[in-house]
Amino acid sequence: MKRIPWDIVLALLAGLGLGLVYSWMISPPRIVDAEPVALRADFKDQYRSAVAAAYNATGNRPRARARLSLLGDADPVEALNAQAQRMLASSAGGVSGEQFGHADQVAALALALDDDPDHALISTPTAEIINNAGNISTATSPPPPPDVPIALTETPEIIETQSTIIVGAVTPRPTRTSVPTLGAPFALTGQESLCDSNLPDGLLQVLVLNSNRRQLAGVEVVVTWDGGKEQFFTGLKTELGNGYADYIMTPEVTYAIQLARGSDVALGIVAPTCQTSSGETFFGGIKLTFQQP
Amino acid sequence: MTTNRSRWVFIILALIAGVGIGLAYGWVFDPVDFFDLTPDTLRTDYKADYVLMTAEAYRVEQDPGLAARRLAIFGTQSPAAIAAEGLDYARANGFSDADVTLMQELVTALQAWSGIR
Repeated sequence: MKRIPWDIVLALLAGLGLGLVYSWMISPPRIVDAEPVALRADFKDQYRSAVAAAYNATGNRPRARARLSLLGDADPVEALNAQAQRMLASSAGGVSGEQFGHADQVAALALALDDDPDHALISTPTAEIINNAGNISTATSPPPPPDVPIALTETPEIIETQSTIIVGAVTPRPTRTSVPTLGAPFALTGQESLCDSNLPDGLLQVLVLNSNRRQLAGVEVVVTWDGGKEQFFTGLKTELGNGYADYIMTPEVTYAIQLARGSDVALGIVAPTCQTSSGETFFGGIKLTFQQP
Repeated sequence: MTTNRSRWVFIILALIAGVGIGLAYGWVFDPVDFFDLTPDTLRTDYKADYVLMTAEAYRVEQDPGLAARRLAIFGTQSPAAIAAEGLDYARANGFSDADVTLMQELVTALQAWSGIR
């Protein structure tokens, strides 16, 4: 019987190990042609900001949706809302005042996509991809790269009411829409006095919801009173909800509260006088709810 | 003696073959999965689309400094050069005239802005 050449087998295995160590750890292949989904989290944030800025300029929602889908977020709207909160938080910390404007763009894009009846299509857009050779294929994920002509099989805010196939090498620029709209003005749907001695005196709580009752981050709330005005934003206290914001009212001062984007005005807001069970008085709070109709 | 030497030759050949197989497997058949990448590794068409996004925003914002900061994520090249590369790609790959015009405006603005700085 022929003896197994163990020394040769061991040499082969040792060589295999050395080759794998070198190719996986010491000198992995140079990274080129990466896709946005593989970007580091902070670069993904910058990518989203750029998408939001472009959307703010063009109002092209299908294009913004296609671009966001490249990042592979499970829920792009949630990702945008979370980013808007992070940007507002870092701005509030004095990192960059410029981020207020960018956060507003990101929040506006989230709002626009959330209001989109085809919101469900965001994470897995279906598109017919037509390459220059005329081959047609249907993809659900990942979406086509930007230079590939696409025909979105959806009809949000596009004049055409049926699928359109764009033949030829053009970029995905479905239609130029008019100036972006942020939806209908918010209505004041709730106003209640809160007498809870555990809460800070004169606490004004504001909750902002969209038409689907989803909380909205990054919404500017404007508080005015006789001789003064202040602004604050929803979403800075994520533990209390994306659409939550609060403000401490001075007792016996009358306030008017509205949203900067346009809303009903809550007039005559004064911290109510409350009483504990032991008869002590304290100033309670007010809770206002704004919602898009 | 001769048998011993040929044995060593076989061992070295086996070692080299093993290294070759390992390299082929690690580089070609099952390369390392990368994540947390930087934007300079993006495919050219994605870079061009990012330049287009910046150009779309620039059309409204008219702030070359802000556009330059957006493009700075691509690394060491100047913003004007990055935008120019995107424009070249757009022209070579049949982007629409409107997109090419936007990118051209951005390139021109960034070149002027670089000169001012």
